[in-house]
This record gives sequence, C-alpha cells and structure tokens, in this order.
Amino acid sequence: MANAIAAAPEVARRIGTGTLLRVLWRSFFFQSATNYERMQNVGFAYCMLPALTQLYQGPALQAAMARHLEFFNTHPYMADALLGATVRLEEEVAAGQASAATVQSFKRCTMGPMAALGDSFFWSSLKPFGAAWAIAGVLTGIAWAPLAFLVLYNMFHLTIRIYGIFAGYRYGQRVVEQLNRFELPRLANRAHYLAGLFLGIGAALIADAAMHSTAALGDGLEPVLLALLTGIFLLCLKRKMPMLVLMYGFAGACVGLVLGLNALFPLIG
Amino acid sequence: MDAGVIAQDLGLIAAVGGVAAVDRRGAFQVMLSQPLVVVPALGVLLGDPVTALWLGSLLQLLWMSSVMHGANVPPNETVAAVAIGGAVLLFGKYVHPTDATIWTVAILLGAPLSQVGRWLEIRLDRANQQLSDLADEAARANEPAGLERLPWLGLGRTFVLNAGLAVVATSLGLGLLMLLDPAIGGALAVALDTVGRYMLPALGLAVALSVLRRRRALVLAGVSFLLVMTAILQGRT
Repeated sequence: MANAIAAAPEVARRIGTGTLLRVLWRSFFFQSATNYERMQNVGFAYCMLPALTQLYQGPALQAAMARHLEFFNTHPYMADALLGATVRLEEEVAAGQASAATVQSFKRCTMGPMAALGDSFFWSSLKPFGAAWAIAGVLTGIAWAPLAFLVLYNMFHLTIRIYGIFAGYRYGQRVVEQLNRFELPRLANRAHYLAGLFLGIGAALIADAAMHSTAALGDGLEPVLLALLTGIFLLCLKRKMPMLVLMYGFAGACVGLVLGLNALFPLIG
Repeated sequence: MDAGVIAQDLGLIAAVGGVAAVDRRGAFQVMLSQPLVVVPALGVLLGDPVTALWLGSLLQLLWMSSVMHGANVPPNETVAAVAIGGAVLLFGKYVHPTDATIWTVAILLGAPLSQVGRWLEIRLDRANQQLSDLADEAARANEPAGLERLPWLGLGRTFVLNAGLAVVATSLGLGLLMLLDPAIGGALAVALDTVGRYMLPALGLAVALSVLRRRRALVLAGVSFLLVMTAILQGRT
C-alpha cells in the first residue's frame, strides 16, 4: 500500500496513514465513556474501529469489537502508543500470523506500566512545573502566562500522542522500548526541581504583593508570616490532613482571633 | 442589574463550565480545565481579566494536588474554579469592584464544590456503565455504527450536567456574596483580608509543594524564595 508507514517484514501492510490519523483523532475522545466496571473499554473500541472495519468483516469484526470491549485502563496520552501497537497486532491477527490472545495479553501487560509512566510524568511533574512557571509569570505581570502554560504543556502532550500512534504501529509490541528513549522519568525529576524553583519565586512575589496591600504588617514581617504558614501547612498536608479542613480551620481561627482581639482592644472601627 | 444581560453572562459561564468539564476528563485533556486557564478565560469573557488572573493562580495553587492517578477520582477543581471565578466576576461587574475580602469569602463558600464535582464525576462514571453495556450489544449485533455514537452520549451528558451545575453554583455564590457583602466591614474585613493575603496563598503554596516528590525540589523552593525576597527588599532600600 502506497501510504503505509513502514515496510513490513512479516505482514503486508493494510492500514494506511489515513486510518492511523483517524485512530489518532478518535484517541482525543478516549475517556468519553469511562465507567467503573471496565474503565476505558468503550473509548478503546471506539478508537480501534477505523482499523477494525478495514481489517475484518462479519463474525471476525464482531469478535474483534468484543475483544476491545474488555477492561482497559491506562494514561490517556500514553494510550496512543498502545493503540498504534494494537492496530499492528490486529493486522497480524487478520493475516493469520498471530492469535487474538496475543492482542489481549499485550494490552493487559502494557496498560499498567504505561499508566504509571504517564501519571508520573504528565500529572505529577509536567503539570505542576508548567503551572508553577505560569503562576510566577502572572505574579510578575505577564498576562499571557496561562497561554504559555497551555503551549508548553501541550507541546509534550501532543508530541507523545502523535509519536505514540505512529511508533506503536511501526514497532508493534516493542513500542514500550521506543518510548523509553524519551527518558520520561529523568524529565519528570527535572520538572520537579524546576517546579520547586518557580514556586519559591512565586512565594516571594506573593509576599511582595502582601507588603503593598491593605493587609501589610510592616517591618518586613510579611515574608516571615507567609513562610511560617506555608511550612505549617506543608507539615499538616504531609500528615494527610485534608486541604479543606486546614482551610476552614485556619480561616476560622484567623477570623476569630482578629475579632476577639478587636473586641478586647478596639482598634478597628 | 439587567436580568437579560445576567442571563447571557450565566449562559457564557455554563458554556465554559461544560467545555472545561469535558476537557478535564472526557475529551482532549489539553488543560483548559485548569483553574489557571479557565478562570482567566471567564475573566476575558466577563470583562475583568486582571482579577481573574490572580484568582485563577490562587485556585490553581490550592488544587494543584488534584490529580487523576489510575482509577482515582480526585476533588474536581474545575467545578469549584468556574463557580468561584464566575461569582466573583459577576459580583465585580454588577455590584462593586472586588478585593481580597470578596475573593476570600467566595473561595470559602465555593471550595466544597470540588467535592460536589467529584461526586458528580463518580455518578457519571456509574451512569456510563449503561454505555458499556450498549457497546456490548452493538458488538453482538455486529453494528459498528451503534458503538460509534456512545462516546458522544457520554460527552453530552458530562457537558450538560456540568454546565447546569456551573449556573446553579455561580448563581447561588453570587446571591450569597450579595447577601454577605453589607456585613463585611471593620474587623471582619481586616480578618478576611489577612486570610486572603496570607493564609490562602500559604495553603496553596503548601499544597503545590506537597506534590513535589523530590526533597531537593523543596530545598530549591526555599533557596529561590530567599534569593528573590532578598533582591526585592534590597531593591526597595
């Protein structure tokens, strides 16, 4: 086929770039019908349909649809690599060179590790870093900082999705090795350090804003109070205290303290 | 206050709330749902981007740890951010310009909505079980077209329910702010200002720092805080 991605050593390519692009587009709706029992099963089957309808007809299509409606749960961005690889595997199944069980076994074996990789890089590292960076930008008066956050974040997001679908199709079951080339755990570590750096800058800018506000304490006490409160809250959060409990507990205490002090020593009208 | 204009603004808030909810979980996930993005977007639509930028940043910090690991459904920061942002922006547009006291009251009133949003998300996941069963039926009947419409049903449901929740929560928030506003003054205003300027940002910073898994990242945060603070103070003298 003229628009095939790579020359196939074993199986004649039947899935073209156009079909892979359709799978890629559909992968943006991967979690649209997430449910408790089988999680992303509907999304996975929906994404696979353009390839399945090209490869199978009749009872074979029926069986293929049913096998992709089994339990599936992974990180939505990393799903593209698995979708690409599964298309490749289905191609081999349709050519009689692999069994349907291989497809299921591949999906079961890879969804967990890919979920862990995506969660730790995108949710726990890139998002905090991008947000901390943009918040520091907002505090320095850069109005387009949220837009910059979107661009930075989606540069990584879209790269991994687009690369994933084509690499998955090209390398099949070896796609996980290919994704390792991105060294996401190493990048995640760096994102944590940068997030720390920008949160520190953001904290200083918040203290500076407090110094210029109606709540200024004078004598340079604002940064000390902010750092002290942050430290106390961090310790409480590390001890698994819920954020809302801290919010209402401390806000109530603060309001009570100010009102009580003002009742004893009336300074504020 | 013109009821027609307010209804138009509430319609905008509903649309933004629905789109953000769909982006959060169902489709694209390009981070439009983050408070840092969705509140400034509301600010642009409702005519006060400056307030929205500050508020969005603070809400982002407060819910930085809201992350969907595996099958876990975390507090829904998007629902809270849309309602808090919407109420503050409408209050600023129709009642009087807002300050830290109004933001603080709005955040304290609206924060539990993150739990309401989480509950709604869990209910939607349960309701989607029906879509999974319909997908099985489509597969058994060998009807790919039957399967193809299911994701759209899931997205439609998410959009409609979250848009509705955004309107109800924003209207309620605006009403409560208008009700409480005359009582905010004197010592109470000072107390709320202090909560808004110190306590909430400190809590947000702590939440964001708690997400960082590397001890050296915390050290780096402390060092950069000291360096920038020193530079600011020296610049002033």
